[in-house]
Amino acid sequence: MHVQSRSWRLPLWLFWSLATIVLWGTWGLVSKIASAGVDAYANQLLYTAGILPLLAFAAWTVWKRRGVAGERREGRRIGLFWAFLTGILGGVGNLAFFQALVKGGSASVVAPVTALFPVVTVLLALIFLKERLGGVQWLGLALAFVAIYLLSV
Amino acid sequence: MHIWLGFAILALFLWGITGVTQKLSTNRISSERSFLWFCVAMAALSGVVLVVARPHWGIGPVVVLCSVAGGVLNGLGAWTSFRALESGGKASIVISLISLYPLLTVILAVLLLGERLTWVQTAGALLAIAAAILLSLEAPPKVKG
Repeated sequence: MHVQSRSWRLPLWLFWSLATIVLWGTWGLVSKIASAGVDAYANQLLYTAGILPLLAFAAWTVWKRRGVAGERREGRRIGLFWAFLTGILGGVGNLAFFQALVKGGSASVVAPVTALFPVVTVLLALIFLKERLGGVQWLGLALAFVAIYLLSV
Repeated sequence: MHIWLGFAILALFLWGITGVTQKLSTNRISSERSFLWFCVAMAALSGVVLVVARPHWGIGPVVVLCSVAGGVLNGLGAWTSFRALESGGKASIVISLISLYPLLTVILAVLLLGERLTWVQTAGALLAIAAAILLSLEAPPKVKG
């Protein structure tokens, strides 16, 4: 599928990817503006208010597709547990992200630092899941640590 | 170490763990149901924050708007990233491309907020973005569970 105009065609996946960049990139900016006038806890509450319409949309989608998706019932409880834990960890991560901005970190430094979170995912997979890393990922890990050092100077 | 950097690294650490827990979840349930329970947990956490942390109110409308917009933008971003993957984009390309989002934050912060980076910080920001892309270039970790 493509988003079409008269002179060019934009693949749909590219359109959604660019939209994600705009949405998340702007999120860092508005968070920094908000950090000048609100503490991390109040921000978390307001942030959640912004998510509520999406929660309603997700609930509607799940209800509409009930019984259609290829979910097995036996693993559902465990799956829900991990999803819930993801939300808790993500939320506490949001609190820490916002606190970094409140405590004087500039958006142009905090955003690149926190965007390095795949480092932890990759290391956890390496340590606990005994997965192997490719050469490119090792290079990425090395660059990530150098970047954190440079941004902290 | 600056205290803000400590909080930024804490966020990095917690979000990094979610990379594994999210995979463990979507191995068993649909991405829609996983996202729903992610939102439910976020709301539950906010309930705890409301009761325990006693947030400071008395804030201006612009700040309220920006904070709410933060939730909307981040949540919609998660949704559009799913859509990108579902629309036929290769995961390695989509995730690498999306990893460029801090670059937009840097540009907007410099242009609109007047933030200034030293040369060392500029190099660090560019390296961080390059590192995030490199880490995403291969398939995400395959989780056994």
